[in-house]
Parts: sequence; structure tokens; C-alpha cells
Amino acid sequence: MLSIKDLKASIEDGTQILKGINLEVKPGEVHAIMGPNGSGKSTLSKVIMGHPAYHVDGGSVELDGKNLLEMDINERANSGLFISTQYPTEIPGVNNVEFLKMAFNSKRAFLGQPEINDDDFKKLCEEKMQLLEMDARYRERGVNDGMSGGEKKRNEILQMAILDPKVSFLDETDSGLDIDALRIVANGINHIMSPEKAVILVTHYQRLLDYIKPTYVHVLRHGKIILSGGPELALKLEEQGYDWIEE
Amino acid sequence: MDAITRIKQLGMPRRNNELWTFFPVAKIPNVLSPDSDCHVADAPRNDNQDAFDFSEENDFAALLPVAQNARTMVQNIADGSEEMAMLKCNNDYGHTVLNIGKNAKASIEILDNKVQHPICAERFDINVGEGASVEIFFANPANDLPLTFRHFRITQAAGSNVRFSAIERGNGITRVSIDAFLNAAGANFDARTLNVLGGESSSHHRLHIYHNAPETTSTQLSRNLLDGNATASYDGSVIVGNGCTKAYSSQLVNTILLSENSSVSVKPVLKIYHDDVECTHGNTVGELDAEQMFYLVSRGIPEKAARKMLMHAFAFDTFAPLPEGPAKKRLLQEL
Repeated sequence: MLSIKDLKASIEDGTQILKGINLEVKPGEVHAIMGPNGSGKSTLSKVIMGHPAYHVDGGSVELDGKNLLEMDINERANSGLFISTQYPTEIPGVNNVEFLKMAFNSKRAFLGQPEINDDDFKKLCEEKMQLLEMDARYRERGVNDGMSGGEKKRNEILQMAILDPKVSFLDETDSGLDIDALRIVANGINHIMSPEKAVILVTHYQRLLDYIKPTYVHVLRHGKIILSGGPELALKLEEQGYDWIEE
Repeated sequence: MDAITRIKQLGMPRRNNELWTFFPVAKIPNVLSPDSDCHVADAPRNDNQDAFDFSEENDFAALLPVAQNARTMVQNIADGSEEMAMLKCNNDYGHTVLNIGKNAKASIEILDNKVQHPICAERFDINVGEGASVEIFFANPANDLPLTFRHFRITQAAGSNVRFSAIERGNGITRVSIDAFLNAAGANFDARTLNVLGGESSSHHRLHIYHNAPETTSTQLSRNLLDGNATASYDGSVIVGNGCTKAYSSQLVNTILLSENSSVSVKPVLKIYHDDVECTHGNTVGELDAEQMFYLVSRGIPEKAARKMLMHAFAFDTFAPLPEGPAKKRLLQEL
């Protein structure tokens, strides 16, 4: 489904952040990526989405056999890739619902489908907001504008629920969430997840993985995946940290 | 002193006159010359000019309509009344006097002048009574007037509130000048302007806000979206007089340059003659926010539509804080 091979990427000053990432993600799988701060976890999600601050030095990223690196950013999204960044961007003045509808219809246009009508979109929106226990105020607000960290993360999952991507790359979705919000967001992700989809979770803590069971856990360090294992690896990392791993 | 005598004293605007620093003064027809198309020297003098003394007026644009013998239209809004009014000047020169009574509420929309002359100039004298609340606004659709001047002289009594809001999208050269006099405690003046310009157009704002009493407040927010070879300038002065305790003033100019050749010039001036006051000014110039663009396109929205959304958001935020009313409705509708 998502195939990342020997992906290398650098920032403007030439510093290489990703030094050869290999990752195969199949439908129905949940991959957790853990690792110390500065290891390249957040960079990975931005590079596969095509953030202009990064330059791809080599390697390939394919989604269902299509080369993502040759696509424009919006084409990558409409092909089924979704990323949620650690600090979602605030866009005052762009209404949350209008933005969602624009994004939803952009995907439909990309897939050659007609625009959704207002009533159907309203129903879809309400259904997904109920799933995430979001109140009506979210509709009136600007995108992430003035929202708390937890509210932003919930808003991100709302977007994921509505856009229905094949592969979601969620970067520290659990940060800034209290216990109840963590449960709600995790339930939302589990609900959206299906055998045809895949999720990649970046996290520092086991607590998110108590709710969302990973198929694989990977350790990213110095721009490379240096260790992969099952869910038990996350428990060991929680107990012992990263120092015991030899690169 | 009448307007033409004062214009002759001042002479035509020059770039070394600080009121006209950023303005393409060469584009102004020479009204002092008998060979000019405007023939100001030969114009018969209108009696209504006798009510005004222009001996201390320094702005050519404020004098020009009267010097060109504009017919003065006087409108009075009674104490305590609520009125909505639309003002329209159909001539190349216009002069309007508005007297707004105590505790009146007025909403004044200035409609676009459709005349096709090489120059169009309008002057508005607005006297706002105690406790009155007035919104003055215009949302001019794009017009092709080559040279437009609009001058506002606003005097405010105690506890009065004036909100001035405007969108400019003309294809020519526009200058809006405002002199606001906050003459008694509690007077508040709020100015919000948005320029959406492209091509060879240019817009120039000159504001002088005089805090002449304690506890007077003023805010200025000016936003520019400039494309093509468009230019904008903002010359904003705040003068806080001696003894004007607890005066508050803020000025913010935000510009997004959408092309290599567009440009903006900003000149904030604060003249403060008292200690216990708060005055701020700020100026930002940039492009559309790269992170916001990335966020929108990463949700599948095409780049062109994303740019449009961000420009709309920038414009929307200029007027979103206005209280609900005709001005907010009209200006947001125009976006």
C-alpha cells in the first residue's frame, strides 16, 4: 500500500535529516514510530507529503504503486495520503466547515465525482463530529484558530474522518490531550480504521498504544529505522528508553 | 480665508511636502494654471464657502473640492435618532457636511462616484455630537477613475464613537485623507481599510488623529493585498496633546505582496506631549503564509484555490471585529 524505500531528505542548508528510511505498510496495519527527539519522525511525514522546506535526496515513496514524489501536494492528499502534524497550523478567517467542504470536494473532483450537496455534507459533518464528541462551536471557528492543543488534535481527526484517506500519518496526536480526550481521539481513529486502510502513528508514549493496537513498532534514530518489532517493543521502550538499542 | 486663496498660498503638492511624500504628484492637473482643464482661477465663487475658514488647512485634497466650487450639501441627523444614509456625489467635485446630533446612531455609506473625469475630489466635514455613534463606510467596486481624492474632516464630542471602514479596489490612483479630532473625553475613532490592488493602480492613505482630550481612544488597521505593479502607502500620524491622560492609540499596517513589482510604503508618526498615554504602531510586509498554504494543499485543495482562501481570510479579518450592522454586512459581502 505505502512503500518507502531508502528515502533520504535534507533541509535547505544541506543537513540531511532522513538518511535512508525503509518502511512497508500494508492495508489494515497500524505502524507506530517511536524515537528520541530530533530523530526525524516529524520530518518523515512532511517529506512524504511534499513540504517545501525539505529536499528529497533519494529513494522512493509509492502509494498503491504510484510515485508520490512526482505528484503535487494536493494530488498526494487526494490520492489517499493524510498527515497530521505535531502543531496543526492555525488559519484565522478560513471557516472550519467551509475548509472541510472545499477539501472534500477537491478530492471528489480529483476522483471525477460530482460535488456533495450542502445537506449531505452537513449530515456527514455532524456524524463525524458526534463520533469525536465535538460541539457545534467548531463549525463557526477558523481552522484551528484559537483552539487549545487538544481541540486542534480533535479537529485534525475530524478532517481525517471526513476525507477518509487510505494512509494516515499522525504525528504525536496524543500530545496535548487529557485522558478523556485521548480516549475520544483514539476511539475516533479506531472507528475510521478499516482493513483497507492503514495508520502510521508517531508517539513518545505507550498510552496511545493502549487504545490503538499497533501491528508493528519501529524505532527511528538519526534519520533511520534502526529496529522494528511487535507491540511488545513499545512496552520495552517505555521501560528502558532508547539507550540499549545498538545502531 | 477661502479655499482658492489657501491653495494659491500652499501651491501645488510636491514630493517634498510631507503630506505628499508617497504620492505621484505629477499626475495631479495643475489647478493653479489658467491653461489647466480645471480652470479653478476662473470659477465663480459659491456663497456657501463663506461658512468655512480654510486658513489652517494644509492639505491640497481637502481644499480642492471647495476651491473647484463644489456645491455643499448639508445633512443634519437629529439628537437621539437612528438613521441610515447613502451619500453619492455625481459631479467631479463634492462637498458634504454632516452634523450628527447627540446620542444619534448613524450608518453612512458613501457610494461610488461614476463620473468620468480626469480628476474627482470629494470632501466630507462630519461633526459628531456627544454620545453619538457613527459608522462611515465605502466598498467601492473597481472603477476606472484615473485620480480620486476623498478627504474627511471628523470632529468628535464627548463619548462619541466613529467607525470608518473602506475597501478600495480601483484601477486608478486614489488618495484618502482623514483628519480626526477627538475633542472630548471618551471619544473613540476606529479606522479599518483594505486595499486590493493590481495592475498599475495605487492607493494612498493619510490619517492624522488628534487626541485633544483625556481618555480618548483610536485604532487604525490597514491591510493591503497588492499584485502586479500596484503600490500603496500609509501615512498615519497620531498626535496626543498635553494633559490627555489615559489616551490610547494603536496603528497596525499589514501588507501581503503577491508579486515582485508591487510595493508598499508606511510612515507611522507619533507626536506625544503627555506621559500617561499608551500608543503603539506596527507594520508587517510579507507573502502568503507558507505553512498555511502547505496545510491547505495537504488537505487536497489546489494551490490556486488555497491562495484565494488565504487572501479572503486576510481580507475577512480586517472587518470581522466590527459590530453587527450595515457596514460589516456590506463590507463582508463585497469580499
